Amino acid sequence: MEKPPILEMRDVCKSFGLIDVLHNISLRVHSGEVLCLLGDNGAGKSTLIKTLAGVFNPTSGTVLMDGTPVTFSSPRDASNRGISTVHQFGGTFPLMSIGRSFFVGVEPTRKWGPFTIYDRKKANEIAVNAVQEFGITRIDDGDRLIGGLSGGERQSLAIARAVYFGARVLILDEPTAALGVKEAAHVLRIVLQARQKGIAVIFITHNVVHALTVGDHFAVLIRGAKAADFRKGEKTREEITDLMAGGEHMAELEAEIQHLKAPNASATVTTH
Amino acid sequence: MSSSSSSLSISGLLRRPEAGAFLGLLGVLIFFVIFGSMEFLKPSGAASWLNVAASLGIIALPIGLLMIAGELDISIGAMIPAGSMTVAILSGHYGLPIWVGILGALSFGVIIGLINGYLVIRTAVPSLIVTLGTLFAVQGIVLGLSVIITGTTSVALTAAPWAKFIFGQFVGGTFQVIIFWWLAITAVYIFVVHFTRYGNWIFAMGGDKISARNAGIPTEKLTITLFVLSSTSAAFVGMCQAILFNSAQVSAGMTFIFNSIISVVVGGVLLTGGFGSIVGIFFGTLTFAVVNQGIYFTTFDRNWSSLIIGIMLLLAVLMNNTFRRMALSYAPKKK
Amino acid sequence: MSNLIQGLSRLALSLTLAFSASSVLAANIAVVGGKTDDAFWNKIKKGIDDARLIVEANGGKVNYLQLQSYDNLGPDAAQLVRTAMSQKVQGIVVPNWVPEAEDEAIKAAVAAGIKVIMINAGTIEKANELGAINYVGSDEYLAGKAGGEYFAAKGQKNVLCVNTVPGAANLEARCKGVIEGITGKGGKGKQLPLPATSFGDPTAVAEAIKATLVGDKTIDGLITISAGDADSAAIGIGQANASETVKLGTFDFNEANLDRIKNGKQLFAIDQQPYLQSLLGVLMLNAYIDFGNKLPTAPVLTGPGIVDASNIDATLAGVKKGAR
Repeated sequence: MEKPPILEMRDVCKSFGLIDVLHNISLRVHSGEVLCLLGDNGAGKSTLIKTLAGVFNPTSGTVLMDGTPVTFSSPRDASNRGISTVHQFGGTFPLMSIGRSFFVGVEPTRKWGPFTIYDRKKANEIAVNAVQEFGITRIDDGDRLIGGLSGGERQSLAIARAVYFGARVLILDEPTAALGVKEAAHVLRIVLQARQKGIAVIFITHNVVHALTVGDHFAVLIRGAKAADFRKGEKTREEITDLMAGGEHMAELEAEIQHLKAPNASATVTTH
Repeated sequence: MSSSSSSLSISGLLRRPEAGAFLGLLGVLIFFVIFGSMEFLKPSGAASWLNVAASLGIIALPIGLLMIAGELDISIGAMIPAGSMTVAILSGHYGLPIWVGILGALSFGVIIGLINGYLVIRTAVPSLIVTLGTLFAVQGIVLGLSVIITGTTSVALTAAPWAKFIFGQFVGGTFQVIIFWWLAITAVYIFVVHFTRYGNWIFAMGGDKISARNAGIPTEKLTITLFVLSSTSAAFVGMCQAILFNSAQVSAGMTFIFNSIISVVVGGVLLTGGFGSIVGIFFGTLTFAVVNQGIYFTTFDRNWSSLIIGIMLLLAVLMNNTFRRMALSYAPKKK
Repeated sequence: MSNLIQGLSRLALSLTLAFSASSVLAANIAVVGGKTDDAFWNKIKKGIDDARLIVEANGGKVNYLQLQSYDNLGPDAAQLVRTAMSQKVQGIVVPNWVPEAEDEAIKAAVAAGIKVIMINAGTIEKANELGAINYVGSDEYLAGKAGGEYFAAKGQKNVLCVNTVPGAANLEARCKGVIEGITGKGGKGKQLPLPATSFGDPTAVAEAIKATLVGDKTIDGLITISAGDADSAAIGIGQANASETVKLGTFDFNEANLDRIKNGKQLFAIDQQPYLQSLLGVLMLNAYIDFGNKLPTAPVLTGPGIVDASNIDATLAGVKKGAR
């Protein structure tokens, strides 16, 4: 018998008052697997993440961990159970040092005479080691401020932090959206490293190329419903793009764009 | 690791939040030595700004922490006269032992702090507005009760010698004893804020309150504690003033609201929270006091003092911004 | 609330009196004033209460119409003047706080044949313009001038007037008077304006005074514009080691000021004597209505009253009785 998925959603619906945001979503993710959640803006991705991270409870349907139904009482409850969310901009404390923000709420301490004090050296060392393990060797000073790191470095640090604190499921919310090509590649490499460590990764994105680079399993959300669910190699990039656009043929759109780009129509393009 | 070596280097020091504040202080000291006289640095001259800095500093420190945590407390403007009137009415008007008056003043501070903190966490109203409300409310209570009880708005107080010795003497004939309170309190704040986990929590709260709460930080307890600290500190300063000046007035202290916020900002604390340091606030307070009192050692026409104060404080804040940018953009050299 | 009830019952009482007793030749006088939960207006009330004894002895009545708040000072005071008119009083004693708002009501009262005396706020020019009989009160400039001359009389040569609220017209007038008073007697005087950042911080005021005294050893007299500032100045003078040479005076006074005058650590305080303002205002009006007496002195200045070692004991007794 197959090992139960580490995290599973069964027929999850979520509505706010009269507005239905999620309809009958079923998803499963195993350890050591990357599930890519694709969807255009407004497709319900963030509500889905928040439901998995314990911010919301589903209106109906169940969330299961290791095959057992669970109800998260708070985001903290979810994170205690090993579900960790990393947001688009990585660390949320831009003016704190790497070491301090790494350990917010769980600061390492040591004895200093009769006092218990924050162990800055230890915090910095652990934080720097954790992120260097993922191959980001440019971070070597735990006193640097988070705000001084590049977007990719922040994402990497946040992922390293989640892994260090024992995350079993890593939810990455658009980690590459605001990054340059090279930075994004770094983050994708780290996603694969986390996968190698046996962590289940839920990777939210609308960049199909990034999804195809790391994903094992794909789900496309359209207007709150799951429009497709397929495994690696089952669909091409064009097919996925069309799906995300809600069934419209992207090829046709692209052709139109090409047409508008023609010299005689350049004025229309520049006035947008 | 290279972390220890880089924090000792000069560039490392320049990246600290207090760097701008320290250079600002040096700048204004040099300015007044050049345009004033060396008198300014001799004991009696130094006392003239240290005395002012001390009572302001005791209030600016908790205000700074509140600002780092993303809150503000302007009710301190009313808590200073509340503290001085409480001790003057209890021990001056009613003639109760001075310790009763001291305890009364501090308890009043704790109560108002609890009310402020509780209202801020229980309502979604910004702390500026909540404490604006308590500012007026406390003013009203103090004025109303003073007039009902004593028939006047100013009460005389002759404190017992021991209380005068601890809270209101001139050490060496010129230095108000409150300077030593200020130094001791600063040391305690430095320890708690920069060397224990609680300090980290305050910074995290100011950076992002929701993330901080999700990380398990007791943000509500911390918020209440900070409000209790600020209003009790203000009551403490008011009480010391009454003991030193042998008199308390209903209408004092409003100027401390702006002066403490200015000191904190000159000290490198970000108005939007999440960044700053105790040492920075300490230097910021000193800078403010030097600028405020320095003009009396110069030959400038006194009518210009407000202008000079304004310009020098603006320069100090601008300097701070430069240093904060430096800290944020800092990255070690590529290997 | 109790004030309101008191006020209403008095109003009702005086209304009945107005209708029943106005035909008798005895003065029915209304006094407009501030709330008596304020120390200053308590002294005014004491003056009214003492004057009432004489008015009542001659068959008249005195009614104190007090403001319920200071939020809308001018219009509220004008309304109280009209209330008094509707009570058919013969005389009104009123401060002219906000001429723009009150002048019209006062003119209307005069036009209706009601005799008016202005107290506390106003000038004799204004009283003449509106047809009021007299102005009883103080003049900030003259009070300052008396202070300057008092310093000169005590042998002081160089007086500093510490102004913690530079720019406020009444306080500038106080300092201007002091400076002109001392220079008129051959001495020197100047103002020390303190920045707004020092107002309400006694240490900052004390240290500013200390630094100024250390910087100029010829200063031998110092006057502050409020009683609280005098407490700060006393410390500042002590810190400058100038207690022997620099004499301290102040406008207004509080308990700590009087203690210092009593102990010889402060030279004097200048008082506008609110008790006299209402006492004289009511009595002069009563004498005018009843007997046609009129003082040729105009204005009648109740200030400056100087409190110094010579009258400190009587002043302290007055404080106990609520007259000072």
